[in-house]
Amino acid sequence: MTEESDQNNGAPLNMDGSVIQATDIRKLYGDHVAVDGITFSVQPGETYGLLGPNGAGKTTSMRMLSGLSPVNSGSINVAGIDVVKDNRAVREVMGVVTQHDGLDSGLTVFQNLFLHGFLAGLARKDSKNRANDVLEFFGLRDRSKDNTYELSGGMKRRLAIARSMMTSPKVIVMDEPSPGLDPQSRNRVWEELAVLKDAGVTVLLSTHYMEEATILCDRLSIMDNGKILDEGTPDQMIERHAPKEVGQLRVAPASLRTVREYLSNREISFREVGALVSVTRVNGDRPDLSGLSDVEGVRISYRAGNLEDVFLSITGRELREE
Amino acid sequence: MNLAIPTPDLRCRSISGLWLRHAVSFLRYWKFAIMWVLIEPVIMLVAVGFGVGKLVGEMEDGVSYAEFVTPGLIVGNAMFHALFETSWNAYSRMDNNVYETALTTPITISEIAMGDILWAVTRSVMTVSGTAIFAALFGWLNHPEAIGLLIPAIMVGITFGTLGFLFSTVAPHTTFLTLVFTLVATPMFFFSGSFFPVTILPDSVEPIAWAMPLTSAVHIGRGFALASLDMSHLWAALYLIAITAVLWPIAIFLLRRKLIK
Repeated sequence: MTEESDQNNGAPLNMDGSVIQATDIRKLYGDHVAVDGITFSVQPGETYGLLGPNGAGKTTSMRMLSGLSPVNSGSINVAGIDVVKDNRAVREVMGVVTQHDGLDSGLTVFQNLFLHGFLAGLARKDSKNRANDVLEFFGLRDRSKDNTYELSGGMKRRLAIARSMMTSPKVIVMDEPSPGLDPQSRNRVWEELAVLKDAGVTVLLSTHYMEEATILCDRLSIMDNGKILDEGTPDQMIERHAPKEVGQLRVAPASLRTVREYLSNREISFREVGALVSVTRVNGDRPDLSGLSDVEGVRISYRAGNLEDVFLSITGRELREE
Repeated sequence: MNLAIPTPDLRCRSISGLWLRHAVSFLRYWKFAIMWVLIEPVIMLVAVGFGVGKLVGEMEDGVSYAEFVTPGLIVGNAMFHALFETSWNAYSRMDNNVYETALTTPITISEIAMGDILWAVTRSVMTVSGTAIFAALFGWLNHPEAIGLLIPAIMVGITFGTLGFLFSTVAPHTTFLTLVFTLVATPMFFFSGSFFPVTILPDSVEPIAWAMPLTSAVHIGRGFALASLDMSHLWAALYLIAITAVLWPIAIFLLRRKLIK
């Protein structure tokens, strides 16, 4: 089933040369279809994303891939291991970052790493050394004796990622790299993921942040209601589904009616999110908003189409539920 | 998925790794640990042994009440430790995703249960040996056979460690977990022959007392403490093993249902 390859730092690959290969996997909870037959594969060294709103089936998919949740049907291969048959073996080769950081509040930062490495199978001495190395790498060395509950949200997330690296896995699965983090902490997490990618680690991540997916992923799938709707690089997806430019109007409440009438009269489609009116024209270039520039309380700006627009155009809904 | 079925390829590191996690976490607060493991049972022993012992006088065969009650208290107290570990502490580990994280390593559900129960056994053995040393100093453990108290200590750890999971895996909140004490631990502690021989209970009630697993454990403990072992102690041991054999698959089923989704 496996063949050695230099492409994946010497770790085995699946027969088709991929590191992760999911074929038509399904998961039911009672009558509810959580994952409805998704198929995708992740190549060595690639960062692959599942982008979709909460409840799209991302977490369930990742849990099935890491051998933590049985599939109802379909097949999963990771690094040459048949995950459906042997869910224990896959956890020997894969690092997993769960959605909740899952830090052990009864232990120090160092103990969290050391004991995880030991549980995973490292010798005591190796686990200690590795814990120190990993703490150094993630910039947490001076916090090693602290309780985990004393850490900031960003540090907790970095510690959770650090923990998944204890066994030096060639592939990691990460459920939401930066949920609820402030922009600065998020940047820090992204930087560290970039370094891991440089080191040749294959990453599968899920996210509901469009920006995160754009920055981190080489390729991604858009997921909704348990299905993959489309797959490609972020640029391809934007090219395929998003308008080139989106006009954005910040509108004072008093002028809202004027703006709505203007757009409706010219049959320009728009959507309102709070005080922000977004104007898109899927086929055209820049939507013509010149007539609105003189209206009091209206600020016009343009931005390039992004994955959020992709999601909207594929599903007709916003990616972010406000 | 065979996460729940005990397979021949049991991975020792999963069990010892989880055990070490519990030991490290426990020893971080060793000053408090000494309170539960040693000070609390010794206070109880002193109060009942000296206090109640003064009133009761001698039991059968020239045994003082303090000598009679010592193994009962020691074994009964061990039950609290074992039960607490896999009910309250395990619940808190479920709540804090400790098991979820552990499951990202190559560990199975059975190994999780075994690691936890091994730690419950460790706590039980710690509190039994510590308290027994004090009891011996007071002159209430007078036979070398008393070393055999380690056997009921281990059995209590396994049986009640397994039983605790039946609560932690179905508890919707910690208030539910108080049932462990009101329904299981407290009635057993007082009606399992720790404080008085179950033979003095009405004939209709005595079998109920014997059905409670702690009664067998206390009986075994007293057999060693008073050097009065006979076949009845063997039957008591077999009963505990049988109870555990019934509880184990239920505990694993519930733990699996709770942790694997």
